[in-house]
Formats: sequence, C-alpha cells, structure tokens
Amino acid sequence: MNAVFPTGFPPATAFYLVLLVATLLLHMVFMHYVLAGSAYLAVGRLMGRQWCRRCGWQRLLVDWLPFATGLAITAGVAPLLFVQILYQREFYSANLLLSHRWMAILPVLIVAFYLLYLQKSAWIGRRGWGWQIAVAATAFAGFAFIAWSWTENHLLSLDEAAWPTLYASGDLRYATAGLVARLAVWFLAAFPTLAIELAWQGRLLDIPLSGPAAAGETVAGLSPLRRLAMTALAGLVGMTAAAAVYWPTLPAESREAIAGPLGRPWLVAAAAGLAVQVICWLIAASRDRLPSGLATLATAGWLATLAGLVVLREAIRLATVDLDTLAELHAEAAGIGGLPVFLIFAGLNAAAIVWCIRMVARRAVTPGPGSRSGS
Amino acid sequence: MTPLEHYPVVDLGPVMKGMAIGGLGIFHVFLAQFAIGGGMLLCYLQWLHMRGRCRLARRFIDDYFKVLVLVSFVLGAVTGVAMWFTSIQVSPRTIGVMVREFHWIWATEWSFFCLEVVAGYLFFRFGPRLPDASRLQLLGLYSFASWMSLFWINGILSWQLTPGGWIESRDVWQGFFNPGFLPSLLFRTICSAAIASLAACVLINLVPGFTRRERESLVAICGRPLVLMLAMPLVGAWYFGSMPADSRGWVTGGSVPMTMFLTMAVGASALIGLYAIFGILRKQLYVNAATAGLLLSLAFVATAGGEFVREGVRKPFTIREYLYSNSVARDGIAELRQRGVTADDPYPLRDEAAYPSEQLVLGGKVFRAQCSVCHTLGGVNSVIELTGSWSLEQKRLNIAQLQQTKPFMPPFAGTPEELEALVQLIGWIDAGRPDAWEESSDPAVLAEIRRWIDEAGTRPGHASLAAAAGDRHR
Repeated sequence: MNAVFPTGFPPATAFYLVLLVATLLLHMVFMHYVLAGSAYLAVGRLMGRQWCRRCGWQRLLVDWLPFATGLAITAGVAPLLFVQILYQREFYSANLLLSHRWMAILPVLIVAFYLLYLQKSAWIGRRGWGWQIAVAATAFAGFAFIAWSWTENHLLSLDEAAWPTLYASGDLRYATAGLVARLAVWFLAAFPTLAIELAWQGRLLDIPLSGPAAAGETVAGLSPLRRLAMTALAGLVGMTAAAAVYWPTLPAESREAIAGPLGRPWLVAAAAGLAVQVICWLIAASRDRLPSGLATLATAGWLATLAGLVVLREAIRLATVDLDTLAELHAEAAGIGGLPVFLIFAGLNAAAIVWCIRMVARRAVTPGPGSRSGS
Repeated sequence: MTPLEHYPVVDLGPVMKGMAIGGLGIFHVFLAQFAIGGGMLLCYLQWLHMRGRCRLARRFIDDYFKVLVLVSFVLGAVTGVAMWFTSIQVSPRTIGVMVREFHWIWATEWSFFCLEVVAGYLFFRFGPRLPDASRLQLLGLYSFASWMSLFWINGILSWQLTPGGWIESRDVWQGFFNPGFLPSLLFRTICSAAIASLAACVLINLVPGFTRRERESLVAICGRPLVLMLAMPLVGAWYFGSMPADSRGWVTGGSVPMTMFLTMAVGASALIGLYAIFGILRKQLYVNAATAGLLLSLAFVATAGGEFVREGVRKPFTIREYLYSNSVARDGIAELRQRGVTADDPYPLRDEAAYPSEQLVLGGKVFRAQCSVCHTLGGVNSVIELTGSWSLEQKRLNIAQLQQTKPFMPPFAGTPEELEALVQLIGWIDAGRPDAWEESSDPAVLAEIRRWIDEAGTRPGHASLAAAAGDRHR
C-alpha cells in the first residue's frame, strides 16, 4: 500500500487487479452509455413530443441502446470473473446477504432490456405520448435500480463487521452513510461518458453537431453539440459535488489509501482529466464547434478521469481486505494453467471482431443481390 | 483445501435450493442450445440460398435472426449471468472452485461470447443490406463463436461429474478434456441442432407472408438437421458409459426420481426423433404451428429431464471426489469430525430466540451447514418427513452412517455432539416445536454415536460399497 497502484502488490495480485480494472473500464464504457442514455431518453420524453422530435440524440439513443445494453452485459462478464478471483469471499458474502433483493436485478434487467427494444418498435410509435414516457421512465428506473443494487452490494462486501448482524436480522437491505453519495458519483460520471460517446458516434454517422446543418435540431436554443456540452458539464460538476459529500463518509484507512502513495497519482490523474474535460466542453460550447483535436483531448481527459475513478474504487477496497490471505489465493489461482490459450483466442477473436466491423462498414451500403425485394 | 468455508446461508423457506438453480439452468440451457443450433441452421440456409437451392432462405434467415436476437441475446445472455449469481446463492464454494480452476477457460469463452454478440448484432442490423458472401461469413463467425462457447463451458460442466486425471494432477487440461467432455459435447450439439430445427418449424408458421407451398418447402429444409437425432442413441450410450458406475446406477433404478427423469428425457427425445425421421423427413408431412409447438415443448421436456439427471447423478458430490454437495471437502470429513462443523461459523441463526435450548440452536446450525443445500425443515424434501418413520436410535445410527444408509448422501461431517443436536432438532420440530425441550447429553449415547461414525469411515458411500463388495469377493 506504499507504492502506486498496481505496483507494491505481489505479482499475482497485481496481475489480477490490472485485469479487473481494465475489464471494468471496458464495461463502464458501455454501461455508462446505457445508464445515462436511458436517463437522457426518460427526461427527453418528459420534455414532450416536439422536443424529442427535434433532438437527434433521442433518436440515436432509441436506435442504439439495445445494442449497447448487449455489449454492457457481455463486457460485464469479464470483471465479474476477475472479482471472483480477487475478492471471492467478500463478493459472495455480500451476494448471499442481500439474497432475493440482490437477485431481483436479473428480472429487472430483462424487463428494462426488452423495454429498450419496445422503444424502437413501431408499436410504441402508434401509442399515445403517455406510453412513451412510461416505457422510457420504467426502463431507466430498472437500470437505476441495478446501479443502486450494485452500489449496495459493493459497500456491503467491504463491511465484514456488519455481516453477522445483517444475517441475523434477516434484513435484505444494507443502508450505510456513503451509499447515496457513492451512487451519485458513479451515476453522474456516466453523463460525461455519454457525451463523449455521442460526440464520436455523431461524427462517425455524419450527424451534424452544430452550424447551419444542425439548425433543424436546435432545442431550447441549444445546438446538438451544446446540449452534449451541457450534459457533460452537469455530470462533471455533479460528480465532483457528490464526491465531496462521499469523502467524509469513508473510513480513515480508505481516505489514506486514496490520498496516500497507492491512490494519489490516480487521484491526480482523475482530477486533471476532469479539468481537461471541463475546459474542452466549455470551449466547444462557447464556439459551438468540436474539432477533432478538441474531441480527442476531451476523450483523453475522460479516460484519465474514469481510469482514475476505477483505480480509486479498488484502492478503497484494498484498504479494507486482508491482503495477506488474499495474496495466497491469488498466487494459487495464477499457478493454474490456461492463460496462453486465453491470450491466443482473445487476440484472434479481437481480430475477428475488428474484421467483422470493417467488413460491414465496407459492404453494408447497397442491398445484396438476393435481398428481400429480390427474393 | 479447508474442510468447509462458512458463508451466510440463503433460506428459501419451503423451496429446495436445487429447484432454483435447476429451473433456471434448464431454461438457460434450452435458450443457449437454441442459439447455437440456430446459428448452424442459418449458415446452412444461407449456403443453400447461394447455391440457388432455397430462394426463400434469405428472407427467412432475417426473420429467424430477429427472434434469435430478441430471445437469445436478451434472455439467453441475462440468464447466463443469472446462472453465476444463482450458483453463488446455492453453493458459493462450488462455483468458487470452478471459477478458480477454470478462470482462463471462462475468460476464453468470454472472448468467443464477445465475437458472438458483435457478429450477431452486426448481422441483425446490417444483414439485409449485405451481399450473400458477407452474410455467410458473418453467420459463419456467429455460429462458430456460439458453438465454441458451448465447447468451453461443456468442458467445465462435464468436469464436475467426471474430473478424470484432474483429481490426481490438478492439471486444468486433464480436467477440461475429461472422459465426459466429447460425448457430452456431441450430444449437446445434436440437441442444439434439433431445438433450432423445431423452433424454425414454429416460426415458419408464424411469420406472415409465406404461402402454404412456401411453408412446406421451408419445413422440409429446416427439418433436415433433425436427421442428426439418429445418432442420439449412440452418443447418449457413449455419454452414459462415460459416467461413474454409481452414477449410472442412480438412473437405472437406484434413485426413483432420477430414473423417472431419464425416462422422461429419453421418451420425449424418442417421440421427437420418430416424428422427425418418419413424419418430416420420410413422409414429408407438413408441420403446422400447433404440431411444431408441441414438438418444441417436448424438446423442452427432454432438456429438463436431461439437465435434472446431469445435476442429480453427481450426488453426493458437486465436484466428483473433491467437494460434496454440502460444500464439505472430501478430504475434510475427518477434521470436521474432530473440530466440529459449526466451530468456525460466524453466523447466528436468524430466529435463535425461538429455540428453547442451546443444543437446538447447535442443531439448527448443523442443519444449515450440512443439510440445507438439498433439504428443508418443513417444505420440499424435508428432513422431518424423510426421517419421520425412524426411531430416535435409528436417527442417530442412520445419520452417523449416512453414506451407507443412502449412498447418494455425503458422510456426516461433525462431532457426536453436533449429530445429537441435529437429531434433537428433528425431534423437536416433529413434535411441533414445543416451548421446552430437554437437552440430551448422555455420555453413553455420544460414545455410541462416535463408534458408529468411526465405523462408517470417511469415504463416500460408493467407495464404501465398492470396498464392502471387494471384501465379500475375497
């Protein structure tokens, strides 16, 4: 704990920690899109039909959210695997203590997932606006419930002293001082991610972000780009405020882990990334332009912030667990074969994924010779 | 390996925990096999289309794929994650060992899952706008990736029943390519092809816009993979032969429920196979929506029966010769008989005040640690019912020598005091939970229990029976 993350740990522990952080980061790229995107859709529906009709982001989100949810679930499998290697006892105990309440995330996820498809369907388009609001709001409520449950589960996994009492009480809820603030940090952090991702998605799909081409998409006097900037800035400011509320609720050893050698460089990276994002979005909003360089810089800032937050999340956890015992288990797991096979297939499959995307981008332009009309 | 790890134990009331994992598992396996077989079927249809042998194929593929995405990519994916979570709820130690031993296999499977999802979604979204060759490439990758997911998971699941050389060597590849790996993989591949064919027959009837003649032609083509069911008896026999002898014994009369479920699986598969071979493939009968739905329901019944048997024949283990179904390590019995199964349990009982004595509280903890994974105290598979006809003496003897009383039960792993506490708990509940219950601590009784426990030894039931048979032979 006296060296910067992930150094200073036994090799096996450091190795699995890096894998957990990297895969969790990948999961968050998609999960943030879903969480913030479903919130954006629900708010949009509340703003009214006219607002939604003019807002291209609403249409884009309706179209892509189901796919993003599929990717978020898929990407979520890997950190779920590595958390079981790193903190098996803690993770399992929290799962078991919350029991049915925790397991409720699964049917809720299925319902929310199908509601995203329902939002894409022609059926919902023929219904009244109240239906659209209800479907969007329920989908968001589902994802918000899952986010809350994960936060609760995670915090309980850190609080071993509370386990026997909670078990004896039969209570399936775990309320602690930092729960709401921590949930707010991560929920609000999803909005800058959404803004960055929509900005790049808009560029790739040739959606005008500003200027005369985007005149028809101006809502409440804001161009699509300015709406993204507002979204990102609101998320960044809100996240910072929530972090300030969360900080005093942390135990002293967790604060030491964040501010000490283990987490300090990552805290600095997160803060610097946050500052870069704020500056980039302010410039973009004031000029109503987002050139590639500025978008890249904002993306770099976003990545630094998110990576920093994910590492700090681990630093807090590492301060609460019995590292000596865990390190033995990690070393035992690392001694088990199969890594080369994973690396080979992961490389091949990653190449196959890239090939698929490139192939579709090249060829999915004109209808094929045997398309439906021709069949 | 520690003899037992204490986790907070989930209480599902009158419901057996096996019902939760079994119900979800059956549903997930059926969906997963539908996705795997669906990929293979769609590749075949696309290939036929490109050779001009099925002009309707391209349109049907796009319709089928929408269903595949809506069913498999949502329900299949989420129930897959749910399997992990439910396994944690039921037996955290079992899933913990599986994750530890096979995490790189699982990670490899995940990389194929990623490919499957990306290729699948790209086809779903852009397939209708792609030329035929690209469609076949995308479908081929999707299909290959989904089958490879089965390949990797199958190795882990079959290892639970037939860990093979892993028991001695702890080598991951010896565990993965275990004796049950290949027959199980082939069997599941055939099941996948059959389920996808039957689902296609349902869909052909439900998709609007096809004429009766077009439907007939599509049914005839989509029914072709059902011919693979001809190999089922052979592959099934191979799979059956790969099982340990005592596991085979459970399904051939040794355990009535397991024999019934096997009969159900075999019967339902035979009915589907016979109809497919003689009705669909030879007589070219038209399969309407009702018939196709019925056949698909039979396939679900067959899957349910097969999965129940696969889970059940592992008894008394969750990982054969390594971990008992109650999460006690095979090699940890002797230690727990000295130290006590509840000695390190940090969790109190939920309703401790309702127990009139410390001994009954101890009995509650023993039940929770050793029995509650398969039994309840007043619901399904209740120990009160199961021991209802036993006298007090019989309860002590039968539980002390549990693996010999019922060879699919694990040996009792606790001290005589703990066993006596469990017996008293059963008696107290059977008596209607009276307010007062006298503690039983007769040293002579405890000494007798110790003698019975020692007599039974620490080996599992099948090993004790084999040893006894050997002695008789000599």
